[in-house]
Amino acid sequence: MNVLQQRPYQPAREDPTIPVLEAVHLRKEFPVGQRLLGQRSSVHAVEDTSLALYPGRATALVGESGSGKTTVARMLARLYDPTAGTIRFHGQTVRLSRGSSALRRYRQHIQLIFQDPFASLNPVHSVRYHLARPLRIFGHVKNRVEETQQILTLLNRVSLTPAEQFIQKYPHQLSGGQRQRIAIARALAVRPDVLLADEPVSMLDVSIRLDILNLLLRLKDEEQLALLYITHDIASARYFADDVLVMYAGQMVEGGPSEEVTQEPKHPYTRLLLSAAPDPERLKSGKTGIKEIGARGEIPSLINPPTGCRFHPRCPHAMDVCRQRFPRRTELGNGHWTNCFLYGDGQDTTPASAPGI
Amino acid sequence: MITSVETKTLLEVKNLSVDYSAASGAVHAVDKVSFTLKRGEILGLAGESGCGKSTLAYAITRLLRPPAYITEGEVLYYPPEGRERSPMISKLTRANGYADNSIDILQLTPSQLRRFRWNELSIVFQSAMNALNPVLSVGTQIMDVLKTHRPEMGPDQRKRRATDLLNLVGIASDRLKSYPHELSGGMRQRVVIAIALALNPELIVMDEPTTALDVVVQREILELISSLCRELSTALIFITHDLSLLLELADKVAIMYAGKMVEKATSKDLYLRPTHPYSYGLLNSFPNLHGPRRNMGGIPGSPPDLRAVPSGCAFHPRCPMAFGPCRSVAPPLKQARLGESGEDAQLVACHLYDPRFAPGGLPTQDQFAAGYVSIIKGGKTR
Repeated sequence: MNVLQQRPYQPAREDPTIPVLEAVHLRKEFPVGQRLLGQRSSVHAVEDTSLALYPGRATALVGESGSGKTTVARMLARLYDPTAGTIRFHGQTVRLSRGSSALRRYRQHIQLIFQDPFASLNPVHSVRYHLARPLRIFGHVKNRVEETQQILTLLNRVSLTPAEQFIQKYPHQLSGGQRQRIAIARALAVRPDVLLADEPVSMLDVSIRLDILNLLLRLKDEEQLALLYITHDIASARYFADDVLVMYAGQMVEGGPSEEVTQEPKHPYTRLLLSAAPDPERLKSGKTGIKEIGARGEIPSLINPPTGCRFHPRCPHAMDVCRQRFPRRTELGNGHWTNCFLYGDGQDTTPASAPGI
Repeated sequence: MITSVETKTLLEVKNLSVDYSAASGAVHAVDKVSFTLKRGEILGLAGESGCGKSTLAYAITRLLRPPAYITEGEVLYYPPEGRERSPMISKLTRANGYADNSIDILQLTPSQLRRFRWNELSIVFQSAMNALNPVLSVGTQIMDVLKTHRPEMGPDQRKRRATDLLNLVGIASDRLKSYPHELSGGMRQRVVIAIALALNPELIVMDEPTTALDVVVQREILELISSLCRELSTALIFITHDLSLLLELADKVAIMYAGKMVEKATSKDLYLRPTHPYSYGLLNSFPNLHGPRRNMGGIPGSPPDLRAVPSGCAFHPRCPMAFGPCRSVAPPLKQARLGESGEDAQLVACHLYDPRFAPGGLPTQDQFAAGYVSIIKGGKTR
């Protein structure tokens, strides 16, 4: 009944226009605190978020801390149960109930890479152990010879050579970049269709970040992986991803091809984010010192978020209607869209499953 | 020993070396670093983790603890002239006995150091958000500094000064009674900066003050730091690994690698024409927001283990331009272009700029780019 139950599953790799993984109107609330007059308060972490990941395509999810970007990834990985919304894998709705065998089949296709390679590897186990576990759990190997062979192949694919040396090392013997490569190899061992990378380079030294990003890009092309790259660094999102989605306080405010979004930002928040990002190019204009930016302040509390568009208290263009309700999505052409009343209120709203979201 | 130093100079670091003593021998965390800092200048220190940038700053501020030891060098501080000073500074300069009124920070006794710190030099730490005491209100913590260092101030004066300081960093003065947990990360950072400014120091050292903050808040804090330093003509040593941010903030940027300073230049020179291959690689590690989308590769390899620093130039195993002498002779920091001198001259520690070793003329940016492309394509193990 479910595509997840067919094993081994061969994805339809030839069609890059059909999304592998789709999230439709996802919402997540975390209950917090005591009951107050019978009503329990909650953190409205993610509101009505839709996105689609395509094979061989990298999508970046950009936002500050507290924007809900990690929560979205964790819902996609089914580490959190969404409060509402649907997740579709190859067009089939993924059952949202927690059943260990269904979940395991799902995770055979969706893998997550975490931010901190120092915490995501077990210090008492060797590289071999870390890579052998997914291979065995998902039945990709029958015996130890095959296992060694596959581990060596994986290490070579993440450019850890000579692989024979790395296989017996322990995490403390590896640098941060090498550990992150092990984490990537571990995700690849499962042979996923979708890789969710949650700030995969922000803990690494600046000079090796691009190395890791380039590795992910190469693997994406080789495997036709659908990649979700979560980051707070919009410049790296531009470098890395084909599409960029911008989140603010749990709401998705703008999205589209990365060149369009970073060069022609529409939503005031995207503009703020871009003007706040460090950009040495400004030196060429001859001005010294830090230039003023348009809006100030921080992400609001999500327990009692602002009504309507959550950016309105900081927005220089806020109107009355912004306080009343969240604008519908407005298509700006070329797959570029935004949720902002400055550009209309979604006259030509398209269903959430249409390509380009 | 001391030549004619201009009165513009605030701090002069000479041949400063710091070792960490370890069971396997000494780790040379900072190796013979020299530089000068002018009054009111913003100097950025950039480099990868473990390059010695924080150790250098802590050595200057005398904050190092065993197993770190300063093995050689001087840190000369030139107190400003004509400024109202507490008698302690004049006492200090006489005690140190330098003809030109300089103070060697490294020679101060503990009690002298206590008077020197915060009056002349204050520090903002990496985890400034945790630098505040959670059980005291921020007003108490600001006034605490004044109480200790300005005993002549009465409670009312202290309170007025604390209010002024909060206003200076853009916080409403009714926040004096707030506790740190009631403030956001950005506001806590502002309070820490207010405390650093409490006694109008000549120099502030900031060690990664914005790394824990979000982009927009980071920008606001940088704006604040930049405008305050210019307004109060406070000199600043700003340490970060984020070169792209530093270039916008700092007047001069110094790049460190494996305990040595490998390049020092004005931020514009460094951005437009980096001379050290490492600086080029580091700049090329930051994707650009505008302009053409290029393929970038960062710097293959990882920073060296400081217990076994490569011979010659420590960067040579990762350097696309390395040639014979790089493996054996350590290059000194000197003018990149012959004939160019003065305080804004670009300094580089690289044999490519030494006519004895590389007579073929100065390398171009294109050659650096081609060099990096070829080593990345060569698929060196990293």
